[in-house]
Amino acid sequence: MGDTLIVVVVIILGAIILFVFPLMTMSDNTDDITQLTVETAVTEFVDDIRTTGRLSMDKYSGLVETLSSTGNTYDIEMQVQVLDENPGKKTTQAEATKIGENVYYTMYTSQILDTINPSSGVTKTLALKEGDIFSVSVKNTNTTLSQQLKSFLYSVTGNDTYVIGAEHGGIVTANGSGN
Amino acid sequence: MKLEHLIVIFVIIILPISLILTSYVQNQVTTLQLQTSYDSKLTTATHDALKAFQLNTVNSSTSDLANSKMRDIEASVNTFFNSVATNFNMAGYNQDVLKYYVPALVYTMYDGFYIYSPFTNTLSPDDYIEGTSTYQNGEKVSGLKPYIFYSCRYIKGSDTDVVITYSLDNYITVQGTVKGQTVFRYGYLLDNVGNYNSSNNTITYRGITIGEETLTEYIGQNEQATYVKVNGVKYYLDSDGSWYSLLNGEKLPQGTTYNTINDSGVRYYREAKEFTQWVQDNLGDLRTSDAVFEDGEKTKQFQNEEGTSVTQTLTEREQWGDMLIFSRQDDTGNTGKSIEDPNSNFNQHRLQVIRYSIEKNLSIAIANYNKYDEGITTNFQMPELKEDEWEKILNNVSIISFLQGLSIGGKIYNGYSIVTNTKTEEVVNTDSIYIVTSDGQYHRATDLDLVGASNITGAYFNVDFERKSVTTDTGVTYYYPHKETGCYTSIVNQSNVEDLNSDKSTQNQYGNSIYAYIANKGGTLAQYYFTALGRERYSMYKTNNNPELLKVNFTV
Repeated sequence: MGDTLIVVVVIILGAIILFVFPLMTMSDNTDDITQLTVETAVTEFVDDIRTTGRLSMDKYSGLVETLSSTGNTYDIEMQVQVLDENPGKKTTQAEATKIGENVYYTMYTSQILDTINPSSGVTKTLALKEGDIFSVSVKNTNTTLSQQLKSFLYSVTGNDTYVIGAEHGGIVTANGSGN
Repeated sequence: MKLEHLIVIFVIIILPISLILTSYVQNQVTTLQLQTSYDSKLTTATHDALKAFQLNTVNSSTSDLANSKMRDIEASVNTFFNSVATNFNMAGYNQDVLKYYVPALVYTMYDGFYIYSPFTNTLSPDDYIEGTSTYQNGEKVSGLKPYIFYSCRYIKGSDTDVVITYSLDNYITVQGTVKGQTVFRYGYLLDNVGNYNSSNNTITYRGITIGEETLTEYIGQNEQATYVKVNGVKYYLDSDGSWYSLLNGEKLPQGTTYNTINDSGVRYYREAKEFTQWVQDNLGDLRTSDAVFEDGEKTKQFQNEEGTSVTQTLTEREQWGDMLIFSRQDDTGNTGKSIEDPNSNFNQHRLQVIRYSIEKNLSIAIANYNKYDEGITTNFQMPELKEDEWEKILNNVSIISFLQGLSIGGKIYNGYSIVTNTKTEEVVNTDSIYIVTSDGQYHRATDLDLVGASNITGAYFNVDFERKSVTTDTGVTYYYPHKETGCYTSIVNQSNVEDLNSDKSTQNQYGNSIYAYIANKGGTLAQYYFTALGRERYSMYKTNNNPELLKVNFTV
């Protein structure tokens, strides 16, 4: 009787070690590699915008395509901080010994997408200028296999957890509408 | 075999494999993260260096002069190294340590460029005393190498042998023998200039009349003065009727009396027309295939990829193609392109020469760097720059920085960064003219609101909208030569501008040329824009100019 119980326990343990453990390692690996792809894609996208000063639907679609080729879904957040030197200029004009502060105002994903969405077949670009700050943050929104397995084994999942994420940003160094 | 044994064997095999795989992938991720963070930090450092250069040159009245410019560049180099040290968590390391990782810094200027890199100091025995001099002969030092011009030598037939120096705009210098005559000519190349009307001192360009003007700007918080700009120096009219210039905030009285009516714009178009005619008469048949190597050799032997040696001309080697450089016509007849249009033969060839000049000297500097490393075993290589990056370098004053040899886990970092300088007195680009309207705002010339606008009051160089500082006994005060604030839809963000870079069919009618666009829009916009462009280009500092002769044209 005792032997039977042990055999059952061993079979269950064996099943876990033989199937679940390798599956978890493999899916973890997949996530790592996906992370690599996502990070490269985001960095390339941001650096392209930073050095050309031009954001177009083509470039954005390119990013979305690369991301979706990893088999996950992502939440892409973009942010442009537009440099406004006018308040600083006015401060200095009011008092000659003061350097006024520069002000940034911010455009977020939905506003940016509104600007670059082609209307009636005409492609549009968002032109940035030298001194603006552009940043992108990407997180996965679906539950990857490794997340599912982990939550099955030691249920640590919540709504906000993501395993694949990348952030990149920096100062724009070129004028987008130069001629 | 029992199930337990199978499991144990399985675990023994799989566990190490999965551990190694995980750590390998983790390593790759870290390397990539480091690489991207280094890329960003390098761009930041280069941007810092550029800001330092911009700040120094905009606030210095002598920044045009070669030794002052070199001083500004050296200050900018120091900023770069400081910024690298702090950004890369290497604070405390000074330039002497960091320079081993920086094979070259390139500062591109109006008609040439500087390379900051190590070189062997060569002194003649008369110039130094062994052991006591600061610098020794044969010593390896880091510093600015001599200025290299964007020039190319051409030999046509037996009587034409010239060196043509190009610049970031349509200004060229011709030196050498043309049709048996020794020449030294320089000027702007411009088509579409109409006839000069001497009765009212006007000239037309693309049908737009360019005339005289009187210029004023702020020289302090509230004082305004009429000025004339000659060879990069502004001369102001004082309230007592005398003239002075400003040297870093100090008034320098001038003995001469200038004319308050300024015709720099008219002179630009007049002289450009004359010079263009001369170039077309004398060098109109010059082709890119006439280019020779610096030493005058028509062909040289090169090793191709298969290892066999081939004899090639400069044009074949650089794949420049064969085209007439200055002629309005190509081999099939007139193309309808003006010489100043971005896609003209002249502009294509100009960019080829500039690129060849930078690429060649830079790869030599980086290759030579391997001779100078002491303790660093990296083999430095020139990274391949992308086409759009070249585009930026070829049209703007910019800084190119290289950083190599830092270990980033799996590999050795090899990165570069390019930052362009749009606020500089070094070059007057077509987009560095801002239009002022009576509502107290300045606009980009391509602002759609300006088309047909009746409230345009002037057009000035973008540097004149930047903050300047003056140091007096009471401290530092700041002022803006032009008090207008930036228009929100064309300067702060660029949501309402004509995009000449785009490939939209509506823009193609201008062939990406701002000249064609502005001429098409006409009105006061075109008049102010073309006058300002001509005036600013004519009055900028150029090494070829003789300031004393130039001044005569503007005195009463």
